[in-house]
Amino acid sequence: MKKAVWSGAVAAAVLMLGSSTVFAQQTATASINVTANVNAKAKLTLGAAAINFADADPDVVPTFTSAAISVDVKSRTTAAGNVTLTVLASGDLTSGSNTIAISNLTWTTTGAGFQAGTNNKTTAQTLGSWTGSGNPSGTHTLAMPNSWAYNTGTYTVTLNYTLTAP
Amino acid sequence: MRLTLSVLLFALVFAAGRVPAGAQTSNATLNASINGLARLSLSSAALTFPDADPDTVPSIQATQGPITLSAKARTSPNGAVTLTVLASDQLRSGLNTIPASNITWVGGGAGFVNGTLSTTAAQVVAGWNGSGVRTGTQMFFFRNLWSYATGTYTLTMTYTLSAA
Repeated sequence: MKKAVWSGAVAAAVLMLGSSTVFAQQTATASINVTANVNAKAKLTLGAAAINFADADPDVVPTFTSAAISVDVKSRTTAAGNVTLTVLASGDLTSGSNTIAISNLTWTTTGAGFQAGTNNKTTAQTLGSWTGSGNPSGTHTLAMPNSWAYNTGTYTVTLNYTLTAP
Repeated sequence: MRLTLSVLLFALVFAAGRVPAGAQTSNATLNASINGLARLSLSSAALTFPDADPDTVPSIQATQGPITLSAKARTSPNGAVTLTVLASDQLRSGLNTIPASNITWVGGGAGFVNGTLSTTAAQVVAGWNGSGVRTGTQMFFFRNLWSYATGTYTLTMTYTLSAA
């Protein structure tokens, strides 16, 4: 008799659970703190590592002109940080003891932030400047007068480009 | 007379054996209350994305690796259980910001889905039906661009486990 009574009570409890219990919306929360570190960086890519001016008749080709050289600038800096690209010549154009003044070598540019200029062996000259992080790109074309006054020879100079992102 | 007494005694004994003089029954009611319940635990309270070159690492993986999430829920049969996440703000470093949507994740485990962080609408991390304990992972990634201003950017992700 007792067994029957308990069975009935348990059955009733199960029925309550299965059919009559009301589930209210339940929520639980947790959080994660996220940190992303962004440091200063600068990367410069030139479209050519060498430029050659082929010999030419000064009367026919009064100015040596290179092909346009792509300049790709990537920089990360502060929001108001000044990003500058400069170029400094290693010296004058030299062939043995003969020289052509580096100031004869000039450039023109295309692209936002790039500017035309004249090479210098003592003071770095600005090729481009921007504000803040970004990835500006442009071109750079070198030119030099083809003068009858030059001594024959193969003249060389190295141009050093420096990109600075504070 | 002797016969009458014997019959009466037999009747009393019989009656005593079949019908107890004080018969009792007892009822006990068992009440087991099982209410809706939700519990959420995360394997880490912090997520860090290290600095990296955008050209070589265009998508930065979180230093902590996959975050393990454990969701325990009691709900009605087939009741919807949903785990969502909402960003407190954009990634912020002083006045500079990076959209929270530049953080994405890949979900691992039954019910877990891939997603993109948002500041305006809670994004589904996982969903199931009915009560149970579920465990899964989230692997977070940060889109790495040259255009970001330098800084240490932070935000808080708030997870909500709901059992309907």
